[in-house]
Amino acid sequence: MKCEHCDIVERKSKADILYEDDEVVVAIKDLAMTPGQITVFPKEHFTILEVVPEEILEKCSLIANKIGIAVFESLGSQGTNIIIQNGLGAGQKVPHFAIEVVPRVENDGLGLQWDAKQLAEDEMATVFMTLEQGMKELDSSAEAEKTKGKDETGKDKKNSKEDDKNNYLLKSLKKIP
Amino acid sequence: MYLFMDPQQLTPEQQKEMEEKLKNMSPEELMEFQKQQCIFCQIISGKIPAKKIYEDDKVLAILDINPAAKGHILLLPKEHYAIMPQIPEKEVGEMFIVAKKMSKLLLKAIKVSGTNIFIANGLVAGQKAQHFMIHIIPRKEDDGILEVEEKLTDQEMRTKVKSLIENKFNELMGVKKEVLQVESSDEEVKEVEELEEPEEIKETKKPAKKVKKKAVKKKGKRENKEKVEEEKPEKESDDKDDDDDDDGGNASLDDIANLFK
Repeated sequence: MKCEHCDIVERKSKADILYEDDEVVVAIKDLAMTPGQITVFPKEHFTILEVVPEEILEKCSLIANKIGIAVFESLGSQGTNIIIQNGLGAGQKVPHFAIEVVPRVENDGLGLQWDAKQLAEDEMATVFMTLEQGMKELDSSAEAEKTKGKDETGKDKKNSKEDDKNNYLLKSLKKIP
Repeated sequence: MYLFMDPQQLTPEQQKEMEEKLKNMSPEELMEFQKQQCIFCQIISGKIPAKKIYEDDKVLAILDINPAAKGHILLLPKEHYAIMPQIPEKEVGEMFIVAKKMSKLLLKAIKVSGTNIFIANGLVAGQKAQHFMIHIIPRKEDDGILEVEEKLTDQEMRTKVKSLIENKFNELMGVKKEVLQVESSDEEVKEVEELEEPEEIKETKKPAKKVKKKAVKKKGKRENKEKVEEEKPEKESDDKDDDDDDDGGNASLDDIANLFK
């Protein structure tokens, strides 16, 4: 499968690489929301946030934070947005998880907003109940995995297998030409 | 979105008094004042009720009362920080791991086709409250949330951005790599890379290159003295660094924006 971020790693892309180690790559891509936008992504091909291992995610986030600081201090930006587009419906265009660091200045004309909704009390309560219930299920499935998978490697394999199976997001991403 | 404090509720005299008070405060006092005024700190301390989705000793995740979409979650550090650069590294990492968990929750519990993890640092970035937060927003196609257009940037612009950011970033990463920007009309950028292998091996392996590298380094230093001197060990105040940038003749983001097609 063709992946724009894997292409960057393999030097098959026009993007400039700002930093690279065994796990994380920082690149300046030719397509950007605003000049100075910097993309931080894991070297290994993970499609969405949910399948990125915690230690890799942690490392990506720390590097994105440092990029944010460097952008503040070196580009003279007045603010930054840190964005993860997770899934096709969320604007993800490359099927390879990434954190975007977007430098901002006044009146730069970037949208990046939303209309705040005023939900009725009962709507809020319904959403809250749904999420509360979902949280319990997440916790219990995590608990079940802990007790089942005793050795570390076995557990990991299981996790990724489960994610692959259940995540329709993943499937839809794979359809990207 | 919760608002930090509504200045319109104050009379003009009160506003003036407030401004005066804020002006005379030390950064520490200001921080303390912000904490007292911060709605999110009051939510964290339990003074204001909120719909809590997740809580541990460092963070709290709640439902946004004015959401972008049903299920919009705000993830807050319990400590009061205004922007991300103020947060200790360890906590940043922990917050992203909880954000992943929240995103997973939204994908499983609500039928959505994606999530956005969104952070705004600073007013111009759309930050509305004085308390740092990570938004986890459930998304559906064409819902009009966080719409943005991507444009093509040119190589010259990307090279410029790279050279401007690289030194500061490497310094923050503790990477031994020095980029010297030689001021010339065609904006040529020379890179001096410290290879990761030990010094001795490098010398025996590549004696010629080493000499050449030193020469380049010296030349760069002479021609752009300010730039090299600017590399100080740790973070200075933002204002100071901005001044340095101007003195060094570096392009501002506005300049870069002008190159944008």
